[in-house]
Amino acid sequence: MTALLSLSGIVCGYGANQVLRGISLEVAEGSLTAIIGPNGHGKTTLLRTISGLVPLTEGTMHFAGQSIGRKRPDEIVAAGVVHVPQGDLLFPEMTVLDNLQMGAYLPEAAKQMRIRLEEVFTLLPKLRERRNQIASTLSGGERRMVGIGRGLMAGGKLLMLDEPSLGLAPILIDQIYEVVWQLTRTGRTILLVEENAVRVADRATQIALLDNGTFAWTGAGAELMARPKILETYLGA
Amino acid sequence: MDVPVDVWVQIIASGLTLGAMYAVAAIGLALVYGSLNMLNMAHGALMALGGYICFYTMTRLGMPALVGVAAAMVVCGAVGLAIYLAAAQPMLRSANFETQIFIATIGIGAILENVILRAFGPQPQPQSLNLTGALVIGNVHIPNQNLLILAVALGLMVVLSLLLRHTRLGRAIRATAQNREAAQLMGVRVSLVYAQVLALSGALAAISGIMVSSLSGLLPNMGGDPMLKAFIICVVAGLGNVYGTVATAIVLGLLEAWIQYVLGVRYSFALLLLLVIVVLIWRPYGLFGRKQVVRL
Repeated sequence: MTALLSLSGIVCGYGANQVLRGISLEVAEGSLTAIIGPNGHGKTTLLRTISGLVPLTEGTMHFAGQSIGRKRPDEIVAAGVVHVPQGDLLFPEMTVLDNLQMGAYLPEAAKQMRIRLEEVFTLLPKLRERRNQIASTLSGGERRMVGIGRGLMAGGKLLMLDEPSLGLAPILIDQIYEVVWQLTRTGRTILLVEENAVRVADRATQIALLDNGTFAWTGAGAELMARPKILETYLGA
Repeated sequence: MDVPVDVWVQIIASGLTLGAMYAVAAIGLALVYGSLNMLNMAHGALMALGGYICFYTMTRLGMPALVGVAAAMVVCGAVGLAIYLAAAQPMLRSANFETQIFIATIGIGAILENVILRAFGPQPQPQSLNLTGALVIGNVHIPNQNLLILAVALGLMVVLSLLLRHTRLGRAIRATAQNREAAQLMGVRVSLVYAQVLALSGALAAISGIMVSSLSGLLPNMGGDPMLKAFIICVVAGLGNVYGTVATAIVLGLLEAWIQYVLGVRYSFALLLLLVIVVLIWRPYGLFGRKQVVRL
């Protein structure tokens, strides 16, 4: 298997505050990679770095054969990295449909708009019902679905999901993860950030435990469950 | 109070002209604030520049009016772009961007005004683009220039609305205004959007400067008063809200014309300010603004 995304020796942060201190990671095509770990240790920053929102201080990033370490966010999206951010970041005054269409903003994605929209509505039927509703009036679960749907509209080769379960009721978390599993079954490459290791361990191809800006442990999902010590130390499980 | 019908028509006609003129000035400010959180204090100087460029192109170069308007839009658009490249872009990442760019654009406005003063002198000039004659219906007397202003302003608003709703640039502007980071994640190159918004705002300032100067003449500092009113309109509407800005501008224009008739010209500005104070106490985020209060 070839690595779709490969990160090597990534160092970055906000001003003098170093958040990531030497991160290396390979994401294989068609795999589900989960980044787990306690809050405030750099999981979100890692995704924001990959999508170009946080500038890289040191290290290299390659995606589908090209270097993306010094590229702008729009160039990285155009290369095929789709980032569904934490807290959804919808366009609050646009309708659900307008939000979804913004997902297909780039010319390549715009050509596929109709087909993709139909796919998104099939995967997330609730959005078809709500398509003319203004985003700021949606419930938390609906907003999450719009966030994911908007990401899918871009197409892309890698889908990065930042804590899709955040702030949702348990029943909604199950629904959202059902969508994520459906996406993995269709062969989509996903890089997932999740605080709850147990929720993703048996599905993930690869799990990386982020602690204090570095990976404390990397391995297969099933392996992690066989290591109670790690679970206990880092995740309090 | 018993006001005859033709006086009402007269008040409404001049109020709509004022409102439409204010709207064109205010939209430029609202677009820039909405997408960059930038209060462009050089907008008034850009209006004056637009007025003078049109005057210069028509009177000194002997070109037709449309060329004068186009030249003013191009020059002011280019100056708007230059303001972005020279001042806004280098400061954009700073935590105090809003304060810094506010002060920087005051300086740029002063420089522009003084350049105009050097080039054209301090004496007032009449705007060359000025229709004569008037539409007279009974006792109602509406100057053709006012009708032209109204028609151009309405046309502009329709064009802008279509641009914002149906073009790729318009979608990018709205997305950036509503959530800058999300727009970037959709593939919007925000620095390009900012540059285009400032150029567009500069071109709008040129048109509104030509309109204002066609009624009250050209002076290097002619932009100050309409810019202040445009700011008031933006604040009352809720900073950055383009459609709310247009509605507020028209209502305030009508109100101003009515106050001028009933109480006299000298009260109109004072009452306008009073209204702003009342609105801001009642709704600090403006009439159409998003419900959020940011305190420094």
